[in-house]
Amino acid sequence: MLELDDVSAAYDTTPILRDVDLSVEEGEIVGVMGKNGVGKTTLLKTVMGLLEPSEGTISYDGTDVTTTSADERARAGIGYIPQGRDVFPKLTVEQNIKMGETIRSDSDETLYDQIYDYFPVLEERASQEAGTLSGGQQQMLAIGRALVSNPDLLLLDEPSEGVQPSIVDQISQDMQTINEDLGTTILFVEQNLGVIREMADRCYAMERGTVVDELGPSTIADEDAIAEYLAV
Amino acid sequence: MSSTEPTSAPNRSLPDRLRSRFEGPNTIGDSRGFWVGFVVAVAALAVYPVFGDGSQLSLFMVLALLGLSLSVVWGYSGVLSFGQVVFFGIGAYTFGVVSINFATPGGITAAVVAGIVGGGLSAAILGYFMFYGGVRDVYVTIITLVSTIVMHTFMAQTAGSEWAIGEAALGGFNGMPDIPVLTLGVEGASYQFMYNPFPMRVIGIGSFELSPFYYLVLVLLVGTYLGLRVLVNSDYGRVMVAVREDEDRTEMFGYNVTRIKFVVFTLGGALAGLSGVLYAARNVYIDPTVFSLLFATLPVIWVSIGGRKSLLGAVVATLAIEYLRISMAGELALVLLGTLLLVTILVLPGGFVPWVHRQIVDARLGPGEAGGPDAPDASSEVSD
Amino acid sequence: MVNGINLALQFLDSFAFIVLAAAGLAIIFGIMGVINLAHGEFILIGAYTSTLSVTHLGIPLAVAIPIGGVVTALFGILTERVIISGAVPNYVSQRTLDRDIIEPLYDRLADSMVATFGLSLILTQGTRIAFGNSIDGLSTPFGPIEYGAFSYSTYRIVLAAVSIGLLVATYYLFTRTEFGMRARATIQDKETARAMGVDTERMYMLTFGIGSGLAGLTGALFAPVITMRPTLGDQFLVESFVAVVVGGPSVVLGTALSGGVLGAILAVFSNLYGTFIGRIALLVAALIALRFLPDGITGFIEQLRKRRQESE
Repeated sequence: MLELDDVSAAYDTTPILRDVDLSVEEGEIVGVMGKNGVGKTTLLKTVMGLLEPSEGTISYDGTDVTTTSADERARAGIGYIPQGRDVFPKLTVEQNIKMGETIRSDSDETLYDQIYDYFPVLEERASQEAGTLSGGQQQMLAIGRALVSNPDLLLLDEPSEGVQPSIVDQISQDMQTINEDLGTTILFVEQNLGVIREMADRCYAMERGTVVDELGPSTIADEDAIAEYLAV
Repeated sequence: MSSTEPTSAPNRSLPDRLRSRFEGPNTIGDSRGFWVGFVVAVAALAVYPVFGDGSQLSLFMVLALLGLSLSVVWGYSGVLSFGQVVFFGIGAYTFGVVSINFATPGGITAAVVAGIVGGGLSAAILGYFMFYGGVRDVYVTIITLVSTIVMHTFMAQTAGSEWAIGEAALGGFNGMPDIPVLTLGVEGASYQFMYNPFPMRVIGIGSFELSPFYYLVLVLLVGTYLGLRVLVNSDYGRVMVAVREDEDRTEMFGYNVTRIKFVVFTLGGALAGLSGVLYAARNVYIDPTVFSLLFATLPVIWVSIGGRKSLLGAVVATLAIEYLRISMAGELALVLLGTLLLVTILVLPGGFVPWVHRQIVDARLGPGEAGGPDAPDASSEVSD
Repeated sequence: MVNGINLALQFLDSFAFIVLAAAGLAIIFGIMGVINLAHGEFILIGAYTSTLSVTHLGIPLAVAIPIGGVVTALFGILTERVIISGAVPNYVSQRTLDRDIIEPLYDRLADSMVATFGLSLILTQGTRIAFGNSIDGLSTPFGPIEYGAFSYSTYRIVLAAVSIGLLVATYYLFTRTEFGMRARATIQDKETARAMGVDTERMYMLTFGIGSGLAGLTGALFAPVITMRPTLGDQFLVESFVAVVVGGPSVVLGTALSGGVLGAILAVFSNLYGTFIGRIALLVAALIALRFLPDGITGFIEQLRKRRQESE
């Protein structure tokens, strides 16, 4: 469903991604792991279209989207949950979710019921300003916002960052539920070992801007193998 | 690197060592060819009054000093100031007031100094208010623009006779006339620069009457340009450029960025003040139009089009643009100017002179070579 | 007592002037991070369009005023596409030179000031070339209101009412419409808004159009009470962008508070010492505000709010 071919990207003149190759099949949960600074967020931003690659191609659902803008990709069914949640602080919870109703070019459905099912707190605090929520609540809001228009591909940037451990568990379980219930394909980046092992069907390892390895389910289950990539 | 650049070998000749103080990555031109061209250009300016309208060119050269003042402040320290004309105007009015009240050679000489000090001091006050108050980036620009309008509005309403300093009436929109002719020196040993042409005879060509004021301005312009070249290519100049590129980072390296901006801004004010003094001296008159919005933006126009990070660009652009402005019909000139400014910012934000220089350097080096480290707006210069 | 009324009316006058002058600019600055120094010339376009519509086309003033706004809005959209975003030149250059030749002016505050100043020169002098040094103005409608030995122009009271109505309408636009919600999201986090499917390019185009339209409307509204000449934008320009910057990030509240505070200063000092001193007082107050409240009035309020929240 998603394929990156030899993608390189830079901020201004500083190169961050080099010759990245990766692919995600429909229905999978794929993780990308790596230490800080390795280019994980840049990778997701490039997939989302917030950053244009200097080289390489990105294809989504069979179409070349390398030069399309982020809002076009959102309308094509890619959802994005940024690192740090990035909820719109002065809009209410309800308005934030409404922002996610991206008017997909191919569907009108909205998943408010499902979202309020997964995260009842969002319904309770619907008219509260999003900036006043706790970190975990903001995470739930960010997920709900990304989910409301039933995206086909969900991009998740370090879901565990800045969130307390009990919520982290909750979130990775929610992600798997979403993947099972809705069939949403998920691509996420993480440096938290536990989240990778719990959520990912398969995962890539990144080092200094490029993909260095691909790990299957059995390797993910092996603690030592994974730890090697996250060693400081 | 240019093949004619002085080497850093220990036994360099004196001329080479001298030359290297004027050259560096922050200015255009470090080849022998450039300096030859420079000497030719100055010589051409020196003989120009014989063939052309020296009095017009002297005005443009005075304004070029104003352009240089903005180039130093904006191009080399990153402070976009719409307020250079404030210091220009204060310099001019100060000169006028002091020289009218003390119309002796000594007094007029003191007036010149007072004008320069006036420009520098007012810049220091505004600079202190802004930089030591933590004002940054575009808000500095806005404050300088507002200051200009304040000066304009204030001076415009000084028409009444109560608005006089000693013998000098400020005059409101009517301006301050009858400024004494520029004379430097003291009683008994002075020289008058205005309305005091000196005759010259060249065998075979003829006799001419040359204006000392013209040559005074030429000397000051060339001297200022060279002096600034030394400054911006010195260690202090490198720090100035570092401030322009990334203030926070420069601060982290231990430099007092606030003080640097303050010092450079004051220097720019003094330079603008000098320009103002010469302007008032040349016209023997000064009025509040120097504080108008249009005049305030002219330096920005010159420096933007010429190349904000280039001293040479500032001078060349001021001379060229003012010449165009005067020679074309009023409205059309401004339409052209506006278009030129617009296109420059959008398409060639670095300005024309650096662009031309790069074309020359590229042509000289031939295909396949990079632009070289003497491109003046290579932002990689002082950061690592 | 009468002087009190005089002062109150003068305040209303100043308030209306600042709010109407600043509104369009505030929207553009807030959403796009662009300072449009040609704002005065957009006001000029609106004023000339409506005046010429009345004098040459015989259109009644009430219709000519909105026409002035609309024409200016269209011109604003043209400006945005060609100069601010560079979309049109880039479209051409992509197909001929295979690259963009213009980088958008968004969030390039200093560059946008210089570039739009170039535009303002073109527009002012272009107007002078096309229409001469002045054109016939309109007479002020409605006539005076008398109170005691004094009278005041009814039209100026209408202007004050319009300025308040404008603030309310803008507030409504930002808080009750979907466009407004997306605009606020874009102001708060442009990148995430794009990821949520907001076509920020289109939004910027519309925003600049609305901001310009408001400027044109201001010009058309003030046309009957000012001299019709190419430099008429100058009297609005500095006050308007000073008001925007002093107002701070919140578009509606910032403009309203600026109008109130700066308007009060302008009215009081003009009343006591004349219009020159009044203007100087306003500008000096702005300088002080910029120095001590770097994020404007609403930015300062926001900081207080955050500090209070954190201590709870």
